[in-house]
Amino acid sequence: MIWVSTREARTSPSGRSGAIRAGRPGGEHSPEPEALHRPALAGLLAVGMAICLVVALVGLPREDAHLPAVARQALEVAVPRWHITEPVNEVVYGTRGFDTFGETFLLLAAVVSVMTLTRRRESRHADGEEHGEERAGRREQEELDPPAPADADQAQARVAERNEEPGGGRSDEERTYPDDERLGAPSPERAEAMSVVTRTAARVAAPLLAVGGVYLAAEGYAPGGGFPAGAVILGVILMLWAGFGHERMGRSIQQRPLEALELAGALAIVGIEVLGLVIKGSVSANWLPLAKSPTTIFSGGVIQAFSGSEVIEVATGLTLAVFSLLAMRHDWTPDEADSGQGAGRDGGGGGAVGRDGGDADRDEGRGPGEDG
Amino acid sequence: MILGNYIAAACVFGLGLYTVLSRRNLIKIVMGLSLMESSTYLLLISLAYRRGSTAPVLSTPQSGQTAGSLARGNVADPVIQNFCLTAIVIGVGVTAVFLSVAVRVAQHYRTLDSDKMRALRG
Repeated sequence: MIWVSTREARTSPSGRSGAIRAGRPGGEHSPEPEALHRPALAGLLAVGMAICLVVALVGLPREDAHLPAVARQALEVAVPRWHITEPVNEVVYGTRGFDTFGETFLLLAAVVSVMTLTRRRESRHADGEEHGEERAGRREQEELDPPAPADADQAQARVAERNEEPGGGRSDEERTYPDDERLGAPSPERAEAMSVVTRTAARVAAPLLAVGGVYLAAEGYAPGGGFPAGAVILGVILMLWAGFGHERMGRSIQQRPLEALELAGALAIVGIEVLGLVIKGSVSANWLPLAKSPTTIFSGGVIQAFSGSEVIEVATGLTLAVFSLLAMRHDWTPDEADSGQGAGRDGGGGGAVGRDGGDADRDEGRGPGEDG
Repeated sequence: MILGNYIAAACVFGLGLYTVLSRRNLIKIVMGLSLMESSTYLLLISLAYRRGSTAPVLSTPQSGQTAGSLARGNVADPVIQNFCLTAIVIGVGVTAVFLSVAVRVAQHYRTLDSDKMRALRG
């Protein structure tokens, strides 16, 4: 890369410093002294900002102030108007329902962004032809970043990564799970899942925690709580992921049905809000019959429906986003077998990110169609 | 003394800002942003607090009280608690997007150092 060569020329006559720096993503341990202007300027700005904030915050109402009128209003209408005993839920899904509506779609936008950013590189060779930009950039790319052969470390990392993929590298007959192994066998323990104690504990705890999460949304103190319930369900899924490893969870967490479920949740929220507008004349107005008692599962009317849709939306959305991040492969830069420039010299200098990056890149390059 | 919480929130915000401005590692920058987000949670929850107040839940009034009298009594501010919930959800979304950008940048430039991401590549 360009910056390596310029830095080498400028900072170190031996030419090694640049390579070491490249391997250290943070740059804190580099032999080159850290420039002092950065922390000094940042410290000045941060302290200035903190002082401004303190001056502003000192003027805020403290613990002995009266509640603002809007809070009083929320507390007073919760039971008579919405038949719900938890004013926070009344504010989230009732009075300020439109705000939550926007927030839901902000979350959806974030999930879509994460999934777009983390998606696999698509083959450009579907029609058997190279695109112009690829052809034009190849010469320059090879000049700046010449291909380097994979060393033993890289080859090992490549194999390990492929084995982590759901179905990657092994056929169904070859695959064995840690659960299939006899307990106390002398064979070495593989790192793809946690120990049998953790796996058993996860199996026992997962349904209990999942029920707890759904209970948060369904009943709790009062209906509502779609966001925390969705987060609890994601927590259960992550616990299972940590216990059983990526390969097994990756097979259960299918992107397409989750996407459909998430969009169904979002659609339900749109429907609930729009029906309020159509039937009652305002967005997020209650158009469902309210239960008589404020502590039953049906109290809250539209709040319960909104919250239930929110659980689906949040749980599936966060699961999709987290699993997209977890399943990211190192498949960015080269996608061709013959011109695979790979990690090159810069990445080869060290640093986990750089080194692993190069391995799978060339790995992917062998068959452009296999990603699709 | 809720003022202590306000000042702590300002300090945590300053700490986060310092991290974002002074660090060059993208993951540390994301951590700094998370710190700034957390300071707003602390501030919002502290703003909702009232001395001797109960949680804004009206389901189990003590003897001699009704849900209505509880609502007029000394409770924490439910509207600001709702703001905090919103802030947390948005914080999660922002962090997820930033982290995926960081991973992609690392794969593309083979470094997380923001100082080294100036060259056009690929």
